[in-house]
Amino acid sequence: MQTKITTLALAAALVLGATGAYAADGGPNDIRLGVYFVHYEGSADDISGPYVPSGLNVHFDDVTTLYLAYVRTLAPNWNLELAFGYPPLTKTEGRGPATLGSVPFNGQVISTARWVAPSLLLEYVFGDPNDRLRPYFGAGVNYTQFIDRRSTAAGNAVSGGPTSISLPPSIGPAITAGLSYEVADRWHVYASYSVAQVNTKLTADTAGLIRTSQVRFWPNALVISVGFSF
Amino acid sequence: MLRKIGVLGVAAAALALAACGSDSPTGTVSTATDRGTLVDDPPLRIASLNAADFASQLNSSSSGQQLLALAGTPACGVDFYYIKYWTVGAGSTPAPTEVSGALMVPTGSGAQCSGARPIVLYAHGTNTDASFNIADVTNPANTEGAMIAAVFAAQGYIVVAPNYAGYDISNLGYHPYLNAAQNADDMMDALTAARKALPSSFTPATTDSGALFVTGYSEGGYVAMATDKAMQAAGETVTATAPMSGPYALEAFGDAVFFGNVNIGSTVFAPLITTSYQKAYGNLYVQPSDLYTAQYAGGIESLLPSTTPLTTLFQQGSLPEAALFDSAPPSTGNSLLDAILAPPPNNPIADAGFGKPFLINDSYRIGYLEDALANPDGALPTPMAGVPLAASPENTLRQDFKLNDMRSWTPQMPMLLCGGDQDPTVYFSVNTETMAAFWSPLVAGGLISVLDLNATPGGPYAQLQGALQQTEAQLIATEGEATAVQSFHSTEAPFCAVAARGFFSHF
Repeated sequence: MQTKITTLALAAALVLGATGAYAADGGPNDIRLGVYFVHYEGSADDISGPYVPSGLNVHFDDVTTLYLAYVRTLAPNWNLELAFGYPPLTKTEGRGPATLGSVPFNGQVISTARWVAPSLLLEYVFGDPNDRLRPYFGAGVNYTQFIDRRSTAAGNAVSGGPTSISLPPSIGPAITAGLSYEVADRWHVYASYSVAQVNTKLTADTAGLIRTSQVRFWPNALVISVGFSF
Repeated sequence: MLRKIGVLGVAAAALALAACGSDSPTGTVSTATDRGTLVDDPPLRIASLNAADFASQLNSSSSGQQLLALAGTPACGVDFYYIKYWTVGAGSTPAPTEVSGALMVPTGSGAQCSGARPIVLYAHGTNTDASFNIADVTNPANTEGAMIAAVFAAQGYIVVAPNYAGYDISNLGYHPYLNAAQNADDMMDALTAARKALPSSFTPATTDSGALFVTGYSEGGYVAMATDKAMQAAGETVTATAPMSGPYALEAFGDAVFFGNVNIGSTVFAPLITTSYQKAYGNLYVQPSDLYTAQYAGGIESLLPSTTPLTTLFQQGSLPEAALFDSAPPSTGNSLLDAILAPPPNNPIADAGFGKPFLINDSYRIGYLEDALANPDGALPTPMAGVPLAASPENTLRQDFKLNDMRSWTPQMPMLLCGGDQDPTVYFSVNTETMAAFWSPLVAGGLISVLDLNATPGGPYAQLQGALQQTEAQLIATEGEATAVQSFHSTEAPFCAVAARGFFSHF
């Protein structure tokens, strides 16, 4: 833990210590708070493993969660954004036949997980720092770590018993495009649309039997936020 | 910049993780290797079918429709659990081995589908597939699993059925085939593990009533009887048993085959038996070619059970399809022996057991027969009063048969012996009737009942007898006699199972 904290502090210092032009009406730092509306575009391989019929798949439900970001102005037209979301509870639904044997499957929430998915984005901001309306786009990297993974009662019934769920972390590209609008001194509102790529392997362990599905999805996030510069 | 991004991203994620939760738990996994230890608790439920869905699935195939008509409409749903447990191998110092099996639990709201229910401990028949798993009802080839589910579990019986050592997850490397002590140990250990698993099933309100019925078909008929014997010796309660079409009188059965009455399937049974006894007792041969012809001796000890289909093994020349013995045996100078060695006239089933190339070498068969003539079994070639075992057989295979022959105990609880005297695979007369003769006072006293499904219909099982005979007649009409006869042994299985259920219902 000490190493993690030290590393984080070092990394934060590197960012905070970067020199650059401040926003015209504030400092080089911007804290943003808002809402993520996340829709999962993606695909998963059919679930494979012992005693699994063909044609079983999964679907991730859309989520809404809190958006928090720190943005550092590096230059008049360049920002570095570190975006977080409060770990949303994402539900995985079964897709396939209505029942497996006599156990309901299609549409059943078979597992849940929260995920921590910070994105670090280098953004180009159009226009002059004194402009009230400034579009921007950016690209960077997304790291997704799934936590608090749980098989539901319906999932346990489908899987055949108490089941542990594994979803390894994923690192993938992320892009964003948005608009900022100055509403008052040091205050802006933002609207952006971001897409990240997440690749992971869903592994379910029931009584030592392993079932898997390779999952590839692209969380599409609409963000509405308010920022304060200092 | 890229380096900064990477460090920051990973560090932020690591910090977030430090305060977050963990996976949902699985069950417990036992590391003990004691007999009867349940490995995964709760065990995996492979499938769950309610009564209507089970009936619907059976109705989707012609064989399922026949089974449904025979077993009756399911009164209960069935949950199919896959249990893994520990038992022991064979031999004087048997080592622990992990094995698997099925636990089938009736479900549903019917009165006979929950609460305290009787257990049927079922032993399956000979299977050459090393990956066989009787719990996997999703496998269409698992007809025996479907049969016991339809006949017993869907009618309110909790069913426990081991896969046996040597199958599925077992790494024993062979199957202790027709080894009474090991087979009984495996059955009892499966029962112990299943009883542990019941309370943690999806339907914990379904409990063990304490009534225990032991049954099985073919090899499983033998295993069921061996289990009854072992449990009685151990002082454990068995309510009633129904061994079905099993090779109980092993010494007599072996002698009958070596005398030339070769049964269907003999080239499969032979390596299973000899490997089992060689592994357990080490007394059959110095090398397999002492018993087998050179063409087949290589690799015979690891041939069965196999993940390679039996038809492929035949095609590859690993095993002859039917020729157990030489169709042109050498002359011994002993006219009686020479007559026995020759293919039997007017017996097309047995005659198919002779050919070239053949499995058992001539010198071994001659040695076996010389001992069988010098130290005869009491059932054949000349029946003796009480059908005793041979007093002092010298051939080591006959010694092993004698050791595992069921003419070695006396049942104390009710037993139904079901079979059919037209069975060309496990001879009813040599096995079931020999046991009936051996236990004739118990048969006369009513403790043991004998049901010959091929006899003229009469008595409490007349309907089943008539139904089987009609089915066999239809098979002969539609598939021809030769093909139909080949399948008689398996055709009889569900009829005997339904008879067993009827027998158990009296207790």
